Amino acid sequence: MLKKQLILRDPLSFLGYETDETEKKGNFGAVTSRAGVGKTAFLVQIAISSLLKDKNVLHISIQDPVDKVNLWYKELFLNLTQNHDAKQSKQLWEALLAKRFIMTFETESFDFSKLISRIDELRTQDIFVPQLIILDGLSLDSSMQPELNQLKEYAVKNNFTIWFSVRTHRHQSDDPVSMLRQLGGKDNNLFNMIIQLLPHKDKIQVKRLSIDREMNERPPLLIDPSTMMIKETTDK
Amino acid sequence: MNTLMQKVRNIGISAHIDSGKTTLTERFLYLTKKIHRIHEVRGKDGVGATMDSMELEKERGITIASAATYCQWKNHEINIIDTPGHVDFTIEVERALRVLDGAILVLCSVGGVQSQSITVDQQMKRYQVPCIAFINKCDRSGADPFRVIDQLREKLNHNAVAVQIPIGLEADLDGIIDLISMKAVYFDGEFGDIIRIEEIPDSLMENAIEKREELVDAASIFSDELTEAVIEETEIPDKFLIDAIRQGTIQRELTPVVMGSAYKNKGIQLVLDAANEFLPSPVEVDNEALNLDDNEEPLPLTGKKEDPLVALAFKLEDGQFGQLTYIRVYQGELKKGDTCSNVRTGKKIKIGRIVRMHSDQMEDVEKIEAGYISALFGVDCVSGDTFAASGLNVSMTSMHIPEPVISLSIKAKDNASETSMAKALNRFTKEDPTFNTFISKETGETIISGMGELHLEVYVERMKREYKTDIITGEPSVAYRETITSNTSFDYIHKKQTGGAGQYGRIAGFMEPVADDDFVFENKITGGSIPTQYISSCEKGFVSCLEKGPWLKYPVTGVKIVINDGASHSVDSSEMAFRAAARGAFLQAYFKARPVLQEPIMKVVIETPAEFQGNVMGSLNQRRGMIIGSHDVGQVTAIEAQVPLSEMFGYSTTLRSMTQGKAQFTMEFSTYKQVPKSVLEIIEKKTEKKTRTGT
Repeated sequence: MLKKQLILRDPLSFLGYETDETEKKGNFGAVTSRAGVGKTAFLVQIAISSLLKDKNVLHISIQDPVDKVNLWYKELFLNLTQNHDAKQSKQLWEALLAKRFIMTFETESFDFSKLISRIDELRTQDIFVPQLIILDGLSLDSSMQPELNQLKEYAVKNNFTIWFSVRTHRHQSDDPVSMLRQLGGKDNNLFNMIIQLLPHKDKIQVKRLSIDREMNERPPLLIDPSTMMIKETTDK
Repeated sequence: MNTLMQKVRNIGISAHIDSGKTTLTERFLYLTKKIHRIHEVRGKDGVGATMDSMELEKERGITIASAATYCQWKNHEINIIDTPGHVDFTIEVERALRVLDGAILVLCSVGGVQSQSITVDQQMKRYQVPCIAFINKCDRSGADPFRVIDQLREKLNHNAVAVQIPIGLEADLDGIIDLISMKAVYFDGEFGDIIRIEEIPDSLMENAIEKREELVDAASIFSDELTEAVIEETEIPDKFLIDAIRQGTIQRELTPVVMGSAYKNKGIQLVLDAANEFLPSPVEVDNEALNLDDNEEPLPLTGKKEDPLVALAFKLEDGQFGQLTYIRVYQGELKKGDTCSNVRTGKKIKIGRIVRMHSDQMEDVEKIEAGYISALFGVDCVSGDTFAASGLNVSMTSMHIPEPVISLSIKAKDNASETSMAKALNRFTKEDPTFNTFISKETGETIISGMGELHLEVYVERMKREYKTDIITGEPSVAYRETITSNTSFDYIHKKQTGGAGQYGRIAGFMEPVADDDFVFENKITGGSIPTQYISSCEKGFVSCLEKGPWLKYPVTGVKIVINDGASHSVDSSEMAFRAAARGAFLQAYFKARPVLQEPIMKVVIETPAEFQGNVMGSLNQRRGMIIGSHDVGQVTAIEAQVPLSEMFGYSTTLRSMTQGKAQFTMEFSTYKQVPKSVLEIIEKKTEKKTRTGT
């Protein structure tokens, strides 16, 4: 019951994404914003929604230690369940933990081939088979295009989707799509879902963007910075 | 302010196992002329390090019991507690931190911030102990002290800043550049005891200037004088910088980092300097006692020797001259021949011999003043007792003592061994509050319980070696516990009429789960349906059911009982009748309250070379472990998991063979969780068999 209620608060469905899009194997999603706006918190909400749908989530963090990542999940789950029965919430939290795996790397020790071999190891030894991967804290640049394409192929083959945090700089913050188009190269087929977070007065706006810019923009959602949760009614 | 006291440092040395803290202490003692030769922890001379005074410690190369020692360095008196590195002995580390004013966190320049450094750091936070960090083993291949500083910032959230940089690294480690005096320091002579100070080599000057700027920048927040000097771009006197770093360290807002190699005798004098310069004296630390006359309200202690005595017995040891009690005096002074009282027992104590310990050697003193750590002979007490001046009813803050999670049955092989075993157990339980012993009512066996397999193993070994006890050990068993999961009511009448005085008592109420307490009893009887004099018998009756649950015979916890109705008989009701009625009521409600069995879950952190991580994770999965995550640092992966304690028996051997001995793990109690159905069935069968056979 609690689970069903919480699934209704899936941030991706608020933004109008359909399940066949968010769960399509090999699909890449990007949550973009400038530093400190709330990319990790948003990604963790996407992850929690997937966990609630019984999907296995592998959270990869390039900077934060395991404990810190765990704390993000704990806090956002608490925020999500604050108006629900504490005992039920605790039981659900315990159940979700078994479907989540946190893998962290130091920036200097991270590379894509290592990541793929780690995931391979988890899969082949039946330790953990991810269905959604969150890749947070990696600085993406166009030199990584071949590796990103390789990762996409691997994701298609092994049936999972990946959400990235993409940090934009001041000059790119108005137009993250161009940056992601550059990353995608001439075929431009890397990112299928793009979400932009923008500070707006005392709130944070959440915009759904499209790589081909053809989609009609939906009205943005708002995040309450004190809880980092999506506000269900959009304030004007 | 007492100027003498300002020159006292009570420090601990804490770190991950094998970071070299015992070696570091050994070097301190050599340099402060407390010992005249250096013995290595696993030395070829067979003597072992001075701080590792127990035979077992010398053999295993680990430090088990903290040995207290003192030394003098540049007009400062330093009391050092050498603390054990293995997490199974953390009560020792915690006790040491309780009485210390500062600590040196030793880190390996290759291994960096390892799992246990995190545990130790959390303990330091709990007791608000300011610390400096010493990055050891800079002579080792792969040494990278600046990576370790980054880890201190990222993993432990320390505002760590280097006050030194190395001259060369790995095999080329030549000396240290002090960023305060901006001089190069070299350590000559066989044991590095001849200090040679020179100008900074040109090749390192640029790096030294950059790192000094970082240091000044970090320290300037703590000193207006320093900030002014920086803004006005005047020359910064060393004192400004030292005072600012000291302020930051004492406030726990800054962690100065020194570096070197204890084994190669490089940089050790500078660690002692740093302890003097940056760590607080006893007068700079606020200590509080609990006022037992005022509902345990905190009572600040003055630290003045003129005020009434307050001291804490933080460690006991059984020496050749009887029990040795390590104490820290927080207020007042303690003289030979004085009388004070043990607050817990209310008994008067006459102070006999007072000694200052230097590992297992000692030196007699006449008195101990506030701020000092010493040891007493011939005092009957247990670890954690408070000694206070007569009439003063205060206790030092109670220490956080975790519940034991594992137990083991032991049996002496013969009568002589039985006597020595009893003696040994008596001593160990007095020394270590996490180590318990009791006689099983069912089997009559002696059971020992503690914090982990290694914890108990070490005590069994010590019984064999130190007390020449021949003992047989049983299978270790896990501290399972039963609890209920739903509310249920009861209404039970205990009635017996078998000639003579009858028995009558009726109890009604309900039972419900409670999260934070083992047992809660609430009396909501109105109108005297159960007379007041029988209420405590009702409570006793319920409590008697908790020790051994009606279902699987494990202790019952997390139960709240509320009684709200009942009945009595003017002739037949008695205390005994209501106790029996309460037992009946408990049994009536217990099974309806859907009991479950819970088991201790351990937080296990394994550090393994990356190539073995798949196998290690597999082994955790096989053990019903839930892997929380993995963290890749260079060639090493740290895996964090939650694993039931019952699955961890013998894991050290499995891990060793799986990783060619290259991995290590630490384990500590995390929480209790419900036992899964498949495992429950096995336990149920075992209990049934036990009940049938009566063993």
